[in-house]
Amino acid sequence: MIANAKNSDDVPAIKVQHLTVSYGPVPALLDVSVEIPQGKLVGIIGPNGSGKSTLMKSMLGFIKPDVGTVDIFGTDVSQVKGRVAYVPQRGSVDWDFPITVREVAAMGRYSYRRWWQDLKKEDFRLADEALEKVRMSDFKDRQIGQLSGGQQQRVFMARALAQDADILLLDEPFAGVDAATERAILDVLQETKEAGKTVVVVHHDLGTAAEYFNLIILLKQRLFGFGTPRQVLNQKLLSDVYEGNLKVFAELARHPSDEVDGG
Amino acid sequence: MADSMAEFFTELQLNYGYLIRPLIVGTLVSIVCSVVGCFIVLRRMAFLADAIAHSMLAGVIGGYLLMKVFYQQDSNLTAMLIGAILAGILTVAMVGFVTKFSRVKQDTAIGIMYTGIFAFSAFFISLGSVSKYIQIDIYHFIIGDIMAVDNSELWLLAIVASIVLPVVILFYRPLQLTTFDPIMAAAIGVPVMAVEYLLTACTSLVVVSGVQIAGVILVVALIITPAATAYLLTDRLDRMIITSAIVGVLCFWLGFVVAVFLGTEPGATIVVMMTGVFLGGLVFAPKYGLLADWIRKSNTVPQEMMEDVLGCVLRAKGKSVPVTEVLKHIKKPAPRVRKSITMLERQGLLDVDNDKVLLTDDGRFQAKKLVRAHRLWETYLDRTGALPKEKIHDTAHLLEHISDEKTVEYLDDKLGHPVTDPHGSIIPNDSELVVGKDLLLSVLRDGNRATVVKTNGVAASSDLKVGEQITMGPRTDGGQIWVVVTSAGEKLSLTHDEVDAVVVRLLEDT
Ligand SMILES: Nc1ncnc2c1ncn2[C@@H]1O[C@H](COP(=O)(O)OP(=O)(O)O)[C@@H](O)[C@H]1O
Ligand SMILES: [Mg+2]
Repeated sequence: MIANAKNSDDVPAIKVQHLTVSYGPVPALLDVSVEIPQGKLVGIIGPNGSGKSTLMKSMLGFIKPDVGTVDIFGTDVSQVKGRVAYVPQRGSVDWDFPITVREVAAMGRYSYRRWWQDLKKEDFRLADEALEKVRMSDFKDRQIGQLSGGQQQRVFMARALAQDADILLLDEPFAGVDAATERAILDVLQETKEAGKTVVVVHHDLGTAAEYFNLIILLKQRLFGFGTPRQVLNQKLLSDVYEGNLKVFAELARHPSDEVDGG
Repeated sequence: MADSMAEFFTELQLNYGYLIRPLIVGTLVSIVCSVVGCFIVLRRMAFLADAIAHSMLAGVIGGYLLMKVFYQQDSNLTAMLIGAILAGILTVAMVGFVTKFSRVKQDTAIGIMYTGIFAFSAFFISLGSVSKYIQIDIYHFIIGDIMAVDNSELWLLAIVASIVLPVVILFYRPLQLTTFDPIMAAAIGVPVMAVEYLLTACTSLVVVSGVQIAGVILVVALIITPAATAYLLTDRLDRMIITSAIVGVLCFWLGFVVAVFLGTEPGATIVVMMTGVFLGGLVFAPKYGLLADWIRKSNTVPQEMMEDVLGCVLRAKGKSVPVTEVLKHIKKPAPRVRKSITMLERQGLLDVDNDKVLLTDDGRFQAKKLVRAHRLWETYLDRTGALPKEKIHDTAHLLEHISDEKTVEYLDDKLGHPVTDPHGSIIPNDSELVVGKDLLLSVLRDGNRATVVKTNGVAASSDLKVGEQITMGPRTDGGQIWVVVTSAGEKLSLTHDEVDAVVVRLLEDT
């Protein structure tokens, strides 16, 4: 299967070069370039409307950029199929869609079958395993709208796990979930990273960012910083991006970044 | 016996034989319309289907004129059909163009385009010089006339059905995925735009065939009404499609029979049936119907009532409370209050023994959070002065149920971490205030002991050192000034901004 092809280790998992994307007269992203190495847990941080979701959609090949390229393991994103799995922002999902938990998880297996083929028993077994891993097995036959916020998040996690892709992109997985679910999701992400995958997470709690991620992308239309939490979460960069929002610094102070190994 | 049966069928054939063809056609058309309708409903494309139907008139005329002028043929159905489909696709393209390149939004663009095309066609064929050429029965087109379907049309509709149904079955997964999550679809290499064009082409085909039954104005109902009914009845797309097809066909048969016996307009009669079934579904659907909703609501106890019970038991300060006492305090129907108590017991928040209730540790934790939210809201309402005093308690009581962590934290910070509410009652402390946890100095209360973990910016000027042990004194200056006693016994007076910049780790009280 293509999704499991071996990569030479030095090629970056995601390489974004001079990316500019616009929906109207003002670009949502302007000249963004980053190289995300393999096997890291990476956070994308920035205020609302700073283009985090747009960057993510570009990495998925959903948005055609005005300028620039996105390469996945050295291949242009438009040529790459199924190597990137995705957990959408909660607000962008149609929760009334007639689909059950198990069917969503099984979508993770679509990339392994030709589009006209039915899914096999094996696929449903893997989907069930993924649901087990996020502890959602008891809700298999529920329609997805009839779950709590944290449970909904976990269903899409299961879908991404079932896809077993090399790169995992998550758009605000911690928004609107309780602390226990946040911890559980983080554990799965960490496990996924340990297994050699690259995980990229849109996150907007600065307070926990340093604790959660190896690398941080600080974004507000342009790239303001990319590196270890210690390099990026400094007052100068943050005040450039957040324009003197004091509360942010107070929260940051709760989780001192210098306790974290940034490698 | 066998003779009379045969006679019966001959009789039937003689009297009603003319009905067989329209019945077969209608059944086919209902199935394809309702199946494709499922995707149209889920993608919110109903208005677009309507637009396609109207702009078809232009295509039909175009196709007709083409055949007439070049081949001297009246009414070549194939040409008219192809014209209609082209017109549909053109409408979609123009709507896309207008939406993309102007600030006009999609619904307006659709509205302008289809009425424009429809009006142009009507204007064109009513021109004296053109109307000589054209013998299209506009009325047939607008109202639809299933009884007038001839053999060639029957074939055509059969072909449409045999194209559209296999396409939907073959492309089921791409259609499902692009409808539900186009971003993931793109990521696994599904050509999202191509699938959308495919569905638009199917919609055009389905609209063209539906117009034969119900006419331009009503054809959208054949497509979306059965699908919407099925949407109320099922939780899975595959079942929704099958249910929709069944609803569509049954309504068609029913409407057809009624129309034959009452001599009414068949298209309209069929749509009346479909609308009736939809309304029935709206009320009686087992899960998403209004009735089910109403029953569910009257059976569950609202979260608020359970929270009120918790708050009531907390005020007893650790003693157990007789259930009758709880019932007296909460002015709601007794059976439902009892039910909330049972639910709370099941959730492990209350212990019920001998008709007396006691908070568990978990329950006390939850209840405290609630009381904290209530008193903070009261303080907030009191300080902002937005409400008359006598209304504050009741409003706070409603607001306390908005007790999510972030909101409460915001209120607390904004109010300067008050210790007491306007009535002088103590506001329970932050639920994060746990020994061993890192916190901002501002949330500490009188008597708390802690180690300084980090000082930031503003506080650097004061004399707190990392690693130092401190004890909190009572606030002064109406709660505006935090008093911190250092290990050396020195008293520091700090402002809100200063204490917000210090992180401490809470120690056991001595
Ligand atoms: N589909 C869209 N059409 C028009 N503007 C959009 C669209 N999606 C996003 N935008 C705009 O692009 C900017 C970046 O949005 P987004 O990437 O969603 O930011 P974030 O995820 O960081 O909140 C915002 O100003 C937003 O309004
Ligand atoms: Mg976003």
